[in-house]
Amino acid sequence: MNYLLLIPATLLLLLVFGFPLIRYFWLSLHASSVLTGLEPIYNNGANWIRLISDGRFWQDLYQTSRFAVFSVGIEMILALVIALLLNNEWKSKQIYRSITLLPWALPTTIMALSWRWIFNTPYGPIDQILNLIGFNNLNILSNPSLAWVGTVIADVWKTTPFIALILLAGLQTIPVDLYEAFRLEGGSPKQSFLYITLPLLKPYLLLGLIFRLAQAFGVFDLIQVMTGGGPASSTESLAIYSYLNAMRFLDFGYSSTIMLASFMILIFVCLSAYIVTITITNNFRRYKL
Amino acid sequence: MSKYRLYLLISTISIAIFGARMVNGRDIKLTTINILMPAPFADSTSKSIERFNNTHKGNIKIKVTKGPRETESVSDLAISNLLLGNSTYDIILMDVTWLPKYASAGWLMPLDSWFVRKDLKELAPGARLGNRFKNKLYRWPLVADMGLLYWRKDLMSSPPKTPYELIKLTEKLISQGKVKYGYVWQGRQYEGLSCVFLELIEGFGGKWLSKTNEVGLNNKEAKEVASWLRDLIERGITPASVTNFSEPEALQAFKSGEAALMRNWPYAYAELQKEDSNVKNKIGITTMISKKGGETTSTLGSWGFVVLKTSKHPDKAIKVIKFLTSETSQRDLFISYGYTPTKASLYKDKNLLETSPILPELARALEATKPRPETPFYAQLSDILQRELSSILTGQNNVEDAMNNAHSKTVKILRSSGAYR
Repeated sequence: MNYLLLIPATLLLLLVFGFPLIRYFWLSLHASSVLTGLEPIYNNGANWIRLISDGRFWQDLYQTSRFAVFSVGIEMILALVIALLLNNEWKSKQIYRSITLLPWALPTTIMALSWRWIFNTPYGPIDQILNLIGFNNLNILSNPSLAWVGTVIADVWKTTPFIALILLAGLQTIPVDLYEAFRLEGGSPKQSFLYITLPLLKPYLLLGLIFRLAQAFGVFDLIQVMTGGGPASSTESLAIYSYLNAMRFLDFGYSSTIMLASFMILIFVCLSAYIVTITITNNFRRYKL
Repeated sequence: MSKYRLYLLISTISIAIFGARMVNGRDIKLTTINILMPAPFADSTSKSIERFNNTHKGNIKIKVTKGPRETESVSDLAISNLLLGNSTYDIILMDVTWLPKYASAGWLMPLDSWFVRKDLKELAPGARLGNRFKNKLYRWPLVADMGLLYWRKDLMSSPPKTPYELIKLTEKLISQGKVKYGYVWQGRQYEGLSCVFLELIEGFGGKWLSKTNEVGLNNKEAKEVASWLRDLIERGITPASVTNFSEPEALQAFKSGEAALMRNWPYAYAELQKEDSNVKNKIGITTMISKKGGETTSTLGSWGFVVLKTSKHPDKAIKVIKFLTSETSQRDLFISYGYTPTKASLYKDKNLLETSPILPELARALEATKPRPETPFYAQLSDILQRELSSILTGQNNVEDAMNNAHSKTVKILRSSGAYR
């Protein structure tokens, strides 16, 4: 009987989540482009065969994963540090907390455009400073082996506060008594971090990790504005490739295939991240760090 | 007694208002024509539109939707709207490269019955390009736009005409310490790079895509262009960071006085004449360099109006288009915003020639315009070219392999579309 109450919410979820997925799946089995006059025509899985042999898809998958792993990894570590700092009882801590959140509050396109000028050679501040102290220009966004680092830096700057906020919320749920008792028993600060903070923070770490992985995997606006996927396609993400196919090439069948494939990969990635994090944190005590 | 009078008064007034409304609604039909334009165009045409709305009060009303600033974002907005079937717009102001794609998607209304030969003759030759697809007229140009070579009058007596002259001249200027960079252009992996390439390949005597759909990307000329661009970077004539330069970055380098030459669109002239510019009154414009066997070429980049097939008021939409592209309106746009006119007569207009010293050069450039490949698959072709050129410019791949790649991928796209044997 209680389950009846879930019906409205379930219906809503199916509508906004299930329907588009089914539609994507259906479109991915059809040719629907300028060639077919935008009419969907069943094509025997040709889109999927094309996807498997499409070197650009695999290159973009690699680049997207590289972006996601590096930016989320760095963000998690930085955010933990920031959250621990902010959790201290400081004078006017509210001000620090608000300042930390500022990058997160900025619209992505605006901050991406600013970073594009910050990294600009020769007019951006980074290269100007390098020149002043006698180094060569870095050409960061113009160099295919460095440009992705630029996008990771911008993303870390922008989204670390978001994870920090989640972790800070988690830290505040840990009762102070626990730490006091542990100290009385002779535990060191390092041990109290490993045996109290980390395990109790686990659900929040997981939440931040999965939120951010999903977001970073679908990164679009930041890269579109900063590099447009270049130079030499070295920063192109799956979302940009899918967008190109849909909006520029009007090839909706193939675009849906890319989107659906990256969705399935993302689910797999998030599940693995979940399992890995659970195992690591559960086994902390065994490692006797 | 007075209370009764008050009631009477109120009811009379309300009947009068209500009645008038009803009559109004029945007799006069107000048609709203919705136009989607990029924000800068919406701002610059706002005065003309106000004038139109005032003279057609109660009959036609133009409603403008301010689209994004960035060219391709406007297309995204338009396409998402068109995909829903019943578009809210009657007219879209569109870039020249979108036309074949939109026309083959079946979204546009042919305009041949409204624009006769006389109308076409009034257009400057360069403005006649890029409005047709498969022998039907779909677009009516508002602004002509073309790639230009900007040069510094204080550094040279005349601009370079050939690739060799350009290198010789700029290397001299750099070694004399007069400028930091010789030549800045658009090298980012985006549409601007394709525009840069088109001008050069035509200037070197090659073809990107010929009229008979033959791809020329693995030809000697195409490879020469790619090597020449790479050479500019290696010689330090162009900064290596050019591979993330779009128009604003190139403009910034030229405006600061650090570059001797720049490739850009006509809008840059007004920017360079502003007070904060270090090169104010020191600039000339011309068309792109060329070699023997090729001809100096400007990439056609004009904006024009199309009527959507779903529009319920095509006649009135045409009336709006004719008004907005009229000589009067184009004169205003040129004087206030520097928009290059599409009407031939304006290039001989004495008043305009007096106010603008660059008008004759613009007219010459307009005659040198060539459109980018006119196929519904242009976006794919441009994307392929941009990728491969970018890999050459950044030193990821050599010219030979990259251009052969670009060639075979382009042929593949065209072949699968049936446009190529």
